Amino acid sequence: MASTSHPSRVSTPVPAPTTTASTSPTPPTFPFPSIYSFPPFFTRQPNGQTWSSQLSLWNSLILAYCRFHKIWRVDLNTAVEWDLFSNKEINRSLKLDTCREILNDMVKKGDAEWVSGSGSAKEGKNTSAIIFWRRPEEWANLISDWIDATGQKNAILTLYEISEGDSSYTQGTHSPYPVTILHILTSSHAEFHGIDSTILRKALDVLVRRGQAQIMRSADGEEAGVKFFGVQ
Amino acid sequence: MSLRRGVGLAAFDNSQRAAQQYSDLGSSLLSAHISELSDQLKTFQSALTKFAESHANEIRSDPVFRAEFVKMCAAIGVDPLASSAANKKGGSFWAELLGNDVNDFFFELAVRIIELCRRTREENGGLMLVDDVRARINSLSPNRPPVSHEDVVRAVATLAPLGHGFEIVKLANREFIRSVPQEMSKDQAVAIEATQAMGYISVPILRDNLNWETARCITVLDDLVAAGLVWVDEQARPREYWTPSWIKQV
Repeated sequence: MASTSHPSRVSTPVPAPTTTASTSPTPPTFPFPSIYSFPPFFTRQPNGQTWSSQLSLWNSLILAYCRFHKIWRVDLNTAVEWDLFSNKEINRSLKLDTCREILNDMVKKGDAEWVSGSGSAKEGKNTSAIIFWRRPEEWANLISDWIDATGQKNAILTLYEISEGDSSYTQGTHSPYPVTILHILTSSHAEFHGIDSTILRKALDVLVRRGQAQIMRSADGEEAGVKFFGVQ
Repeated sequence: MSLRRGVGLAAFDNSQRAAQQYSDLGSSLLSAHISELSDQLKTFQSALTKFAESHANEIRSDPVFRAEFVKMCAAIGVDPLASSAANKKGGSFWAELLGNDVNDFFFELAVRIIELCRRTREENGGLMLVDDVRARINSLSPNRPPVSHEDVVRAVATLAPLGHGFEIVKLANREFIRSVPQEMSKDQAVAIEATQAMGYISVPILRDNLNWETARCITVLDDLVAAGLVWVDEQARPREYWTPSWIKQV
């Protein structure tokens, strides 16, 4: 049958099966889903229904990618160059406008938030977004679990101590936990190691609302630290 | 005398008696036959029940075994999913016999197929490869026994009494589940078949392989996009129209 025979003239080669596995060096590479090798995935689909499905596929891909690489913010000016938005193997990349539309949709769904004033004043469009690969409520739970697990109730921690992982509480001599579970505690902390300050602040706001934490201010009104009360 | 020869009025009684005796004999033979048959049927049923009981797990969990079982049923002329409407108790002959296991298996699978098709409808316009459905269903619930291609086809068949909506269509020798009750034109069907060769089609591909006018190609492709059955790749020259059934294969 004519339709099943291969056409003689093909403008674009059919993408070869991925061969990255053999060449990839030690740093783990993000396992892209199969849709990433589907060329039309990088074209904004004209059909509304298809587009909405494409949006949610991009949404979950971006969340998974950022989670894998611990990326807190996506700045479109540079991110369009990332392998996330540009598949070199099939020579396809997402247009800046389409990226922005996708991020806009993520913001609408609560999976991201524009950093206001991040775009050039002339264009008036934001280019940088915070990606919530965990929602602030989830971060709040993780932080409060960590506080409980490491016996830091009623302690006052600086925001830096939380985000930059001063692990003395889990490694110090006064830790009430046996060595065997220390790595569990530190690995749960590793989840929010280096957490973006805006996300951390949102997570702390959740804890404050729950009455589990209180923001401490220094004399000049700067936020100095957080006091945790833990769950009653 | 007359008594011996049976003439006279009494002869009527005689012949009636004889007829009665014949019919008594006949019905007793018949009932013996029936009871024999029903004994055989009972034996058959109990054998089947025993078989189903002892193999219920395999029927449910082993796709190869299930396929063989269904094939065996077909060979002896019984349909394990025979219409339940025929039975006042609301279950088919097999449902009673097999304790609903076989029926439940296919009905439940059908429900999972419906859910999957509904969830991916925006992505594929309601047309999905049976093998794709099978692979996704198996990967969605890795803890459950795997289902086979035949299981999926059979499960979709159980949806037939519900009217149009879910059906198996064959394009380019591959089976698809069509979950949107919308007629595909001949041209559209041919174009979708063509995507199965390389994953995509384009105006030149259709024109050169099918000898269609350019306008005809454009119309068909636009219709397929409108139906959500293909995805557009604008970064290809000329523009390519990809079938989402290719996503797993690129």
